[in-house]
Amino acid sequence: MPKRIQPLLLACTGIGFVLDPFAARAIEPNPENISLFLEAYCLKCHSGEKVKGKVDFGTVSVTAASKDDFDFWQLAAEVVDYEDMPPEDEKQPTAEERAAFQSYYENRYVQIEAKPGVFLPRRLSAPEYRNTMRSLFGFDLENRVQKAEQTAIEPSLILKLMPTDPPGESGFINDTHGAPISTTLWDQYAYFSEVALIRLFSRSRPQSLNAFLEVELPKNYRHEDFTLSMGQTLFRKFVTKAYRRPVSDKEFEDIQSPLVGLSGAKLVSALKFEMQAVLMSPSFLYRGMRMEKVPGIQHEVDAFELAERLSYFLWEDSPDEELFNLTSDGSLLEPKIFEQQVSRMLKSPKARSLAESFANQWLALDGINDAYKDPYLLVSYKSQPLDFLNYLFTENRPIMEMIDSEVTFTNSVTASVYPEDRKKLEKYVKPKGIEKQAPPNQKLLLEKTPGRGGLLTMPAVLAMNHGPIIRGTWTLERILGEHIGEPPADVPPIEATLGNQKLTFREQFALHRNNATCARCHEKIDPIGFAFEAYNDRGAYLLGDITSFPKGMQSKKKVDGPVDTTGRLSTSETFENFEELKQIFMTSRREAIIGNIVERTLSYALCRKLGAHDGPTVEAITEKMLVEGATWGQLFFNVANSLPFRETVIPARKKP
Amino acid sequence: MKRNWSINRRTFLRGAFGAAVPLPFLNLMEASADSGVTNLAGDNAPPLRFMSLFKPNGVHPPSWNINGGTENDFRMSPLMAPFSQHKDDLVILDNMGDFGFSSHMNSTRRFLSGHHQNTSGASMDQLIADQIGGDTPHRSLELTTEGLFTGQIDCSYISYGPDGERLPRESDPQLIFDRLFRHPLSVPSKRRDMSSLLDRVNDDVKLLQRKAGKEDRDTLEEYLTVVRETEQRIGQINKNAKPSPINFEDIVRPPLATNLDEQVNTMIDLIALALWTDSTRCATYMLGNSNSRIIFDFLGVKEQHHYLSHFFRNFSRENIDGLLKISLWHMEKFDYLLTKLKSYKDQEGSLLDHTVVLFGSGMGHSDNHTAQRIPTILAGQGGGMLKTGRYLRYSKNQELGDLHLTLMQGFGIPIDSYANSGTPLQGLDGSPFDEYRERSFESWIKLSSGRIIVQGRLVMSENLDEAKTFYMEVDGKDPVRVDVSFRDFHDFNLPYHVGTPIVLTGNREEKNGQLLMTKVSDLKSVFGKSNPGRQRG
Repeated sequence: MPKRIQPLLLACTGIGFVLDPFAARAIEPNPENISLFLEAYCLKCHSGEKVKGKVDFGTVSVTAASKDDFDFWQLAAEVVDYEDMPPEDEKQPTAEERAAFQSYYENRYVQIEAKPGVFLPRRLSAPEYRNTMRSLFGFDLENRVQKAEQTAIEPSLILKLMPTDPPGESGFINDTHGAPISTTLWDQYAYFSEVALIRLFSRSRPQSLNAFLEVELPKNYRHEDFTLSMGQTLFRKFVTKAYRRPVSDKEFEDIQSPLVGLSGAKLVSALKFEMQAVLMSPSFLYRGMRMEKVPGIQHEVDAFELAERLSYFLWEDSPDEELFNLTSDGSLLEPKIFEQQVSRMLKSPKARSLAESFANQWLALDGINDAYKDPYLLVSYKSQPLDFLNYLFTENRPIMEMIDSEVTFTNSVTASVYPEDRKKLEKYVKPKGIEKQAPPNQKLLLEKTPGRGGLLTMPAVLAMNHGPIIRGTWTLERILGEHIGEPPADVPPIEATLGNQKLTFREQFALHRNNATCARCHEKIDPIGFAFEAYNDRGAYLLGDITSFPKGMQSKKKVDGPVDTTGRLSTSETFENFEELKQIFMTSRREAIIGNIVERTLSYALCRKLGAHDGPTVEAITEKMLVEGATWGQLFFNVANSLPFRETVIPARKKP
Repeated sequence: MKRNWSINRRTFLRGAFGAAVPLPFLNLMEASADSGVTNLAGDNAPPLRFMSLFKPNGVHPPSWNINGGTENDFRMSPLMAPFSQHKDDLVILDNMGDFGFSSHMNSTRRFLSGHHQNTSGASMDQLIADQIGGDTPHRSLELTTEGLFTGQIDCSYISYGPDGERLPRESDPQLIFDRLFRHPLSVPSKRRDMSSLLDRVNDDVKLLQRKAGKEDRDTLEEYLTVVRETEQRIGQINKNAKPSPINFEDIVRPPLATNLDEQVNTMIDLIALALWTDSTRCATYMLGNSNSRIIFDFLGVKEQHHYLSHFFRNFSRENIDGLLKISLWHMEKFDYLLTKLKSYKDQEGSLLDHTVVLFGSGMGHSDNHTAQRIPTILAGQGGGMLKTGRYLRYSKNQELGDLHLTLMQGFGIPIDSYANSGTPLQGLDGSPFDEYRERSFESWIKLSSGRIIVQGRLVMSENLDEAKTFYMEVDGKDPVRVDVSFRDFHDFNLPYHVGTPIVLTGNREEKNGQLLMTKVSDLKSVFGKSNPGRQRG
C-alpha cells in the first residue's frame, strides 16, 4: 500500500492520525502475541458467560483468514488506540503493545484485496419510491395545498405521508437495510398504489394511460371500451417497467391469467387489482430482488441490475427508456456505451438528486432549514450551496472547486455578501403586488470578493454551524473525513473549569486543551473552528460586508478590535485567517479531502457503509482523482465503474 | 349516543340513487328525503355539531360594517350580499373585539382561543370536540387551504391542543375523503380487497423464494411477517366490526381539484358530509393563513391577498377592486357552506339546525389591524342554542372570549371562565343584551389660522375611490374631509374610532370650498379611550 494513502484509510476506519507504530521497538503483531494481549487485557470482561457491552472475543477468531469480523476488530482497534479500553482502573498495556494490536488489525483488514459486498436486497427509500412511482405512472401523487409565497408546503403526497427513513449505518437514507418494512409502511404502500391507479384510470385524464397503450383514448373515454388486448399490452409494459426488468413469457402468462375472458369495466377493475399486486410485490418495492444470482462465486451483475444501480445512484430513480433499452441485449455492459450513459445521465435534470440527496445528506445541509424561519430567506440561502454543488457535479467541474471556486450562485437576497461582484447580476424585478419573493439564482464570477469562494464560506453553511467548535467539527468530519466521536462523559463543562477567570472563548478552549483527554480532539477542532471567527452566526463577514447584509440578518454582535483568526495545525502548519487555511486545504490536505469525497460517494452509490474490502477500491479511485484537475464527472464514472458497484457475491447455498 | 336513523340513510343512499352517489349530488337527498322515509326522531335528538370557518386578513370596513339598523330590523352590508339569502339563519355580531391593534399572529390565536395571550390552553373547538365527540370515528377535523407560513408560524393555525400546541392541518380534499370514507381497514369491502391482495403477493413471494439466496430470504421473511400481521389485523377487525350504518362505498371519491375554488368547494362538501354521516362533530376550516399570500388568479387578481388587504397603504382603485373580489369570494364560500348544511336533512330539520357555525376573522380593519368590530357571524340554531335572524350590536367592545365561553356552555361544557373571560356574552339565545345606543353629543368646528379642531363623528368614506379618506360629521354643516398620511392613520389608529364621536385637531386647508384636515396632531375620544393601545406581538 502506498504510504501516502495511509492517513486516508485510517480516517476511513475511524482511527484518526496515529504515529507510525513501527517507529517504537515493536512487538511482532502475530496471532500468538495478540492472544496474549487479549488474555492480559480483554478476556476478563469480554468473554465467558457474562460479557460486557455485547463485545465477546469468544465469538471471533484471532487466526482465521476470514474478513467477516471487520466491524468487531475495527471497534476493538479504535478503543484500544484511543485508550478508551482497558478501563482506567484496569491494568494498562504499554505503548508498544497497543501499537502491535493496531498493526495486527491493519495487516488483517486494511491490506487486503478488493471484493464486492455480499448481495442484499434493499427497500426503496422514500424519495426513491416517490421518483420511481412518478417515472412509472408519468405523474406525481400530489398533496393538494395552495401554493403561495413565503409558505412552506410539501407537494408530494408520498413524502408528506410516508414515515421518514432513518439514515442507515452509511449515514445515507438510501441505506435502508436497518429500516425494514413495517405494517405502517405496508398500509402506505397500499394507499399510494391505490390512489395512483385510480388516477391512471381516471376517465377525464387519460394521458398517462395513453402513454402505456400508445393510442389516443379520448377525454372521458368509457371503461366499457377496454379490450383484453389493450389490457394485456398495458399490463405487460407496466410489469416490465415496475420490476425494472422483463418478466418471462411463462410468468406473464401466469400473472395475466385472471384477466382472460374479461372486458370493459370488469377488466379495468381486474387490471387495477393485478397492477396493485405488482406495486405491492417485493420485486417492485425492493432493489435487486430479481437479479440473476450465481451462488458461491463473485460475479458481474447483469445489465438490468447495473442499469438500476446506475440510475438510483445518479438519479435516485428507476432507469429511463434509453437506459433500459440498452439492457436487454446487454450492450450497457460495453465500456464505451456505459461511459456514454454516465455522462448523458449526469447532464439530465434528474442528476440534481446528487446535490439534493447525496451532498445534502453527506454535508448535513438540512441543518440550514433550522437557520431560517422564513421560506423566502430559506429558499434563497439553501439553494445557493445546492445550485453550486449541482453545477460542480453535472458540469464536470474539478473536484477541489468544492473547496475553492471562482464561481458562485446567488440572487439579490444572498448577493449582499459579494458587494462588488453583485453589480454584474442581471436585475430581477418582482411583479407588482408580490411582497417578497426568492428570485432565481444566477451564476456569478467572483472577481472582487476575497474570502467567499467555495462551499465552506457560503452564508448558509456558516449559519447552520454556529460557533468555532461546531464549525471545526463539521469541517473535520464532513470535509476532511476524520472521525471525532463523542466527548467523553466524565469531562466537566468548560465553565466549571474556569473559576472566576474572565476569558475569551478562545482562551477558554486553550485552557480546555490543557487536559490531555480534551486535547486529543480539540487540538484538531479548535484551530480550524477559530479560523471561521471572522464570520458571524448569519455567515456575514465581520471584517467587510456586514453592513450590507439584509435587514434582520445583520449580526447583533459588535466587533471589538481585530478578530483573531490565526491558528496552528497539528502538522505545525500555521495560518493567519481562513483564506490561508483554505490554501492548506487545497494543497497539503487535498489528498485527505479527495479521499473522503471518494469514500462518501462510493458509500452513497453502494447504499451501504464501506467495509474492509472496499479499502482497495477507495484507494484506487482516490489515486485517479488525485491527478490535477480530476473532475466530479470522472469520480462518478469511476465509482459506477468500480468493482463493488459492478460485481456482487452471493453466498453459496447451504443444504437445509 | 344510540342512533336509529341509520337505516333510513342506507336505504336512502342505495335505494334512491343506486350504487353510487357522486358527491356533488348528495344535496339532492334533501329533495326526496321525505318521500321514502318516515322520521324516527323519537327520544333521540340528533347530535349537535360545531363548525368554524376562518376568513383571513380582516375586511375593508366600509364594505363590511352594518351602520344603523336594530336587532330585528337591519339591512345587510354590501360584503354580506353573497349570503344574504341565509339572513334568517344568522346571528350577526357587531362590536366584537379586543383593544387596540392586533398582529396577524395574535388575531389568528384569538379567533378560537378567546384571547391572544391564551397560548397554553386548548382552543374552544377542541374543548367542544372533547365534549360532543362521543364515539365518532374522528374526534375533530382541522382543515386549511394553504401551506405553513413558517416566518410567523401561528398565522397558520386556529386550532390548538390542550397545551396550546398547534394542531396539524390538512388541505387535500381527496386525502380527507380517503381518511373519512376509504380507510383501508375500516370499510368491509376494502378489507376484502386487502385480503385478496395479501393472497396474491404471497404467491409472488413464493416464486421469489424459490430462487432466493439466504440474504433475499431474510428480507422476504421480513416482508412476509408484515403480510401476516396485516392478515391478522384484518381478521381481528372483521371479528370486532359492527355493521356500519352507512355504506361509504356508495359515496364517490371527489375528483382532483384543479384550482383553489374547486379545492375549497370540495372541502366544504366533505365537511358537510362528515358532519352528516356523524364521522365527526367538530371541524375547523381556514380559507387561508392569517396573512395569506395567496394569489387569486382564477378571479383575475394578480396581487397577493395580504398586499391588497393593506388597502390604505397600497391604495389604487384596482387594488380595492381586487381586495373586494377576494372578500366576496370568501363570503360566497360561507354561503356555499350554509347552503350545503341546509341541504342535508337531519331528522326534523336540516343539518344546519343542529349545528353551530362560527364564521369570521381575527381582525377588523385589514390595513390597520384594528381589533375592533371584528367580523363575527353565527349561523344555525344549534338545537336552540341560538336565536337567529338578528343583528346584535353591542354597546361596548365584547371580547371574543365571552362569545367562546357562551358557546362552550351552550354545548354543555361546565366552565364559568375561559381565557381572559369570565362573563358570558348576552343575547345569543334571544335574551336581553346591552345594545349599542347613540349617546347624544355636541358637534362643532373651531378654526384658527392654519388649524382646525372638530368635534363630531368620524366615518370612513363609503366611496371606494376614496379609500384613504375619512370624514368628520358635524350637525348642520358639510362634513370635514380628513385626508391623512399613513403615518397619521396608523399612529392615531383612526379605524378604531370610526363611528364614534371624537375631537380631532389638525392642519387646515380648503379645497373647492370644502374644509380639509391634512395633518392630525391630536385625537380625543368623547366617551371612550383616546389611545386604544399598541400592537402586541
